[in-house]
Amino acid sequence: MTRGYLKSSPYFFRIIKIAWLLATILLLVLAALWPAPLQEPADLARVPNPVKSAWFLLWIQEVVSYSKYLIYAVLAVALGMILLPWLPGQQKSDQASWLGTGHLRIAVASLVTFAAVLLLTVIAGYFRGENWAFVLPF
Amino acid sequence: MLNEFLSHLFPRVVLKRNLTISYTFCLGGLAFSAFLLLLCSGMLLLFYYQPGPEKAYGSILLLESSVWGGRYLRSLHRLCSHLLLVLLMLHTLRVVLTGAYQKPRQLNWVIGCLLLLLCVFEAYTGYLLPMDQLALWATQTGMELLATFPFGPLLRGILVPDGIGHPMSLLRFYALHIMLVPLSVLGLSFLHFYRIRKNKGVLPYL
Repeated sequence: MTRGYLKSSPYFFRIIKIAWLLATILLLVLAALWPAPLQEPADLARVPNPVKSAWFLLWIQEVVSYSKYLIYAVLAVALGMILLPWLPGQQKSDQASWLGTGHLRIAVASLVTFAAVLLLTVIAGYFRGENWAFVLPF
Repeated sequence: MLNEFLSHLFPRVVLKRNLTISYTFCLGGLAFSAFLLLLCSGMLLLFYYQPGPEKAYGSILLLESSVWGGRYLRSLHRLCSHLLLVLLMLHTLRVVLTGAYQKPRQLNWVIGCLLLLLCVFEAYTGYLLPMDQLALWATQTGMELLATFPFGPLLRGILVPDGIGHPMSLLRFYALHIMLVPLSVLGLSFLHFYRIRKNKGVLPYL
């Protein structure tokens, strides 16, 4: 065995099994505590106000509520994300590290984007009332 | 035999320091665990769900009121889908922050991005199926968002030929949700794992 290396079985696979077991137990327990909602039957004649999208799309709904052309900003973020390995201004790191110097700018930009998506989701989810007006949730 | 197939998807050896939990937090493994539970709970839900505008809501009511554990099963399925998306987003962020997206792992990064998009689409198609008010209007809003994208109206026409919640659109969402998208996610996941082996480890710098 080369120095510093371990066989995947059992060392790597053990971690995978523990992760699988923990995730499964956590989900099985949480599902008992957090029941899925079920509202009245779907009725196209009864439009709720405000109408909100699924939680994972709320940030896009919030963005386009300012201007529909901002959808191109969403597309730019998605495209930039896919093309991340080919973006200029980064160097290949030779040591595993969080926020390594070789990709620090990309990492900071990604953190800012992630925080923005999170913030927009919270605003759309909790701070938007009738006619998409800004309201306080409490 | 299954064990041997699965073990071949992973590298034979790994760097000891790459197994440090604080490098990965095992977020990808946790996400795949949620996906497996999602598949299992979804398969059981198939025994009761009826994909028709007049029958869908009733079948959910029947599941929740008359089937032993039915309400729990639906809650589990919903919770798994939420957690899967959260874990995938955190996993993606981890990959960026540790620089694991960089060459020579660029192909696996693109596969991962496709997996994230497919899982969002999978969650979206599942949103409509209960056919309650939340499902209908969340899906309707999603379609309006899609229409703002370039080629969005064309995609909308393919996904929803007769209006949200009408027979054809519900059937298309159902087919995508239970078959096409999950199979694509499963296939791409195996490719994702295999690329880890090809790239010699869960992290760069080998």
